[in-house]
Amino acid sequence: MSATSPQSTRPSSVRRIDVRGPRVTAGVTAVVLLVVVALGLLGLTQAATILLGVQAAVFVIAAIVGAARHPYGFVFKLIRRRLAPASEWEDSAPPTFSQGVGFVVVALGLVLQLIGVPYAVVVAAAAAFIVAFVNSVFGFCVGCQIYLLLARLGLIRRTPETSS
Amino acid sequence: MNPVLVGALLVGLVALATVLGLVWQARQGRIRAGNSRIVAIDDVPLGARATLLQFSTEVCSPCVATARVLGDLAATTDHVAHVDLDVTHRPELAARYRVMQTPTTLILDAKGAIRARIGGAVRRDLVVAELDRILAA
Repeated sequence: MSATSPQSTRPSSVRRIDVRGPRVTAGVTAVVLLVVVALGLLGLTQAATILLGVQAAVFVIAAIVGAARHPYGFVFKLIRRRLAPASEWEDSAPPTFSQGVGFVVVALGLVLQLIGVPYAVVVAAAAAFIVAFVNSVFGFCVGCQIYLLLARLGLIRRTPETSS
Repeated sequence: MNPVLVGALLVGLVALATVLGLVWQARQGRIRAGNSRIVAIDDVPLGARATLLQFSTEVCSPCVATARVLGDLAATTDHVAHVDLDVTHRPELAARYRVMQTPTTLILDAKGAIRARIGGAVRRDLVVAELDRILAA
């Protein structure tokens, strides 16, 4: 018997991308976040805050323009010619969504740090690092948990299209 | 903070992330026993002998891979249906069937009772073995 596919209204920024791209990008993100944690622990709070601010900007840009045009995408472009041709493709919507989640986490850390909560930047960067690392190394999918949670809480709701 | 201690904390953070990743990976696709509750969802036709009921969202790459595996199994096995439900549109179903991640797959028998539950991307060999067990019963 045939399968019923979920219907979706796709924003124009959704493209088909090589699945390895977002994993490389998550790896770069993880390295940046680990440097933020190191700077923060070494007492270089200002440097840590600035670098996390840069990462927040990268997250928000990627969430807007889509994972296919991620600011860190150049790293994957550099190594792609040494890799085998793409064998698996995915929609760019899931990795794009995860960039928005990353932004929310690091923005929260930045705001708390700026209003005087000690180590807020370090804690936020460490949390975001764990997610980026597990995403990059193990293929963990952020949206698979968070998007569902938001939908269950009723924060994301779309009316089903008429055709089924 | 002393640089040696900072180094140790960074190694600890990477180790923690690795352990969490390994735990997550080991749980993906594992088959757990279902609670035998009967599934009845409006507009969802069940297979005559078994149904592979998948819960997905739009923001989920492994859902696509899972749909491909399950769709292929349903197409090549008589009287087995594959149903892929987008819970973005029907969050009450996610609550009713305690879907905590996507994809989540329920394997239903001929009566529509939940015989198995799979969290995360499915593994074809495990699904085939479970389906054989259910079809043989």
